[in-house]
Amino acid sequence: MAAIEIRNLVKSFGPVKAVDGVSFSVEAGSVTGYLGPNGAGKTTTLRCLLGLVTPDSGEALVNGERYVALSNPVAEIGAVLEATSFHPGRTARNHLRILCTAAGLPDARADEALEQVGLADAAGKRVSGFSLGMRQRLALASALLGQPRVYILDEPANGLDPAGIEWLRGFLRHLAHDQGAAVLVSSHVLAEVERTVDNVVIIAKGRLVRQGSLAELTSDGADAVRVRAAQAADLAPALEAAGGVVEHVEDGLLRVRGLDPEAVGQVALDRRVVLTEVAQERSGLHKVFLDLTEGR
Amino acid sequence: MSGLVKAELRKLFTTRLWWIMLLVMLVLVGVGLGFLIAFAGVEQNGSALPARDTAAWAEVAWSSASSGGIFVMILGVVMMTSEYRYQTITGTFLTTPRRGLVIVAKVIAGLLVGAVFALAVLIFQAITVIPAVTLSGGEFSLSASRIPQISLGILVTLALYAVFGIGLGALVRNQIAGIVAAVVWAYVIESIFTGIPALHSVGKWLPGGAAQALMSIDVDTGLGRPEWLPAWAGAIVLVGYGLVFAAVATATTVRRDIT
Ligand SMILES: Nc1ncnc2c1ncn2[C@@H]1O[C@H](COP(=O)(O)OP(=O)(O)OP(=O)(O)O)[C@@H](O)[C@H]1O
Ligand SMILES: [Mg+2]
Repeated sequence: MAAIEIRNLVKSFGPVKAVDGVSFSVEAGSVTGYLGPNGAGKTTTLRCLLGLVTPDSGEALVNGERYVALSNPVAEIGAVLEATSFHPGRTARNHLRILCTAAGLPDARADEALEQVGLADAAGKRVSGFSLGMRQRLALASALLGQPRVYILDEPANGLDPAGIEWLRGFLRHLAHDQGAAVLVSSHVLAEVERTVDNVVIIAKGRLVRQGSLAELTSDGADAVRVRAAQAADLAPALEAAGGVVEHVEDGLLRVRGLDPEAVGQVALDRRVVLTEVAQERSGLHKVFLDLTEGR
Repeated sequence: MSGLVKAELRKLFTTRLWWIMLLVMLVLVGVGLGFLIAFAGVEQNGSALPARDTAAWAEVAWSSASSGGIFVMILGVVMMTSEYRYQTITGTFLTTPRRGLVIVAKVIAGLLVGAVFALAVLIFQAITVIPAVTLSGGEFSLSASRIPQISLGILVTLALYAVFGIGLGALVRNQIAGIVAAVVWAYVIESIFTGIPALHSVGKWLPGGAAQALMSIDVDTGLGRPEWLPAWAGAIVLVGYGLVFAAVATATTVRRDIT
């Protein structure tokens, strides 16, 4: 049984088909990126999954059950939603304690969760004085209260600075890979999640356009290898002879498709050309994302 | 369920509004009482408020605390609407996806808070009305002024007004609109229909009129003798409104998409 299972989900708001027949699943121990441009239907899908929005048809299940049927949802699934907000006059600790009380958890969980997200020092401060990044961390802390094994995060990187994004990346991978949790994280910015996720689900205009592992999606995007060499002009024909498609980016810099870095290195060795840089370019996924989402 | 009620009480008591409301309620009840003290026994339009040393005056003065209902109602409105205003409703429903339970918990918490406000205002009445009577040379008598029944009426009224507020808040969701509606209801509509004796035939069926019935004040305050329902019928009408508002809160909340 998948931790998260979405089957033929459909939801319209008036004439707008926000989600139009989406199906995918998320397994324990992995991070899945749920990607799509603005208005693609990501938030709507996640809200259906969390019982906040009633789908027109189809199913969205957590651990095999509808969210509203879970007896203690906080202990099974933690969610951070885009529009989660806080009463500005309440302290961070009190906000979490209220959730603990409602969920039957001990108050001590509030401080533990704040500690985990690095907000321990701000526990007694009113939320009105919080920065966007601090609010995002507080939202994450509320998802951690029940120590669940399934996490759903809607654009969690919004408002985080680069250090915060890096921290979040490590945290989510730790939850999935070390603790075996299933993590579903949405974003409209591919670069944000690219180094975090194992699997990718891409939607646009409410429809699923692609899903698979990050590796699969990257490989069909015609990966390129960046090659820098003083004698680039000599190297280029040899690479072409070896089956590569060579593009001259600038003086001394080539972009080669159809060969992997090892093959490029072999050609250079045979030709006795000194390479100053060989790097796999991961622009493939970006291209896939743009083609899939903007192209239609 | 007790955890959910406790969570609702915590929501209220971890923000500042409750004590501001409590203070404003006591100040306004105090101002009303000031008028009753000032105009006791003063003749206007041929009739008059009873004199300050009478049991009847103490009865009227004690019952004036029921005007605190509006503040409890506003608190009820805010208990519901601040969840939408600050979008904490998302976290609330994520924790308790059976929304009906959340409403029940809010209603119970509202009843408790209303009762606490009633106790506060009754203590306030005790320390103002009793000296006002005795300092004027009268004798304060619980039974002659029917203090127990009036106090019970105030307790029930204030508790139920919190539920009215919760229902109203769930219906309109917008905080400002909800508070304005509550104030217009209490200060304009109800005071017209329960204040003017000619309109009592309608007014006695409104929550304010039913609250008066519950306290059974039968004293001519200068505007003519009111005609309220019997106390038991007032109780039924008031509780009926409470159930209607609780049902409205549930019906408007249970299936609505939270986006
Ligand atoms: N409550 C609502 N009423 C009407 N339309 C809505 C509502 N919520 C969402 N929509 C519409 O549904 C579509 C999908 O919105 P959704 O918020 O799910 O997109 P998203 O992928 O999360 O976008 P973003 O990246 O901007 O967060 C949009 O066209 C949006 O306008
Ligand atoms: Mg969104």
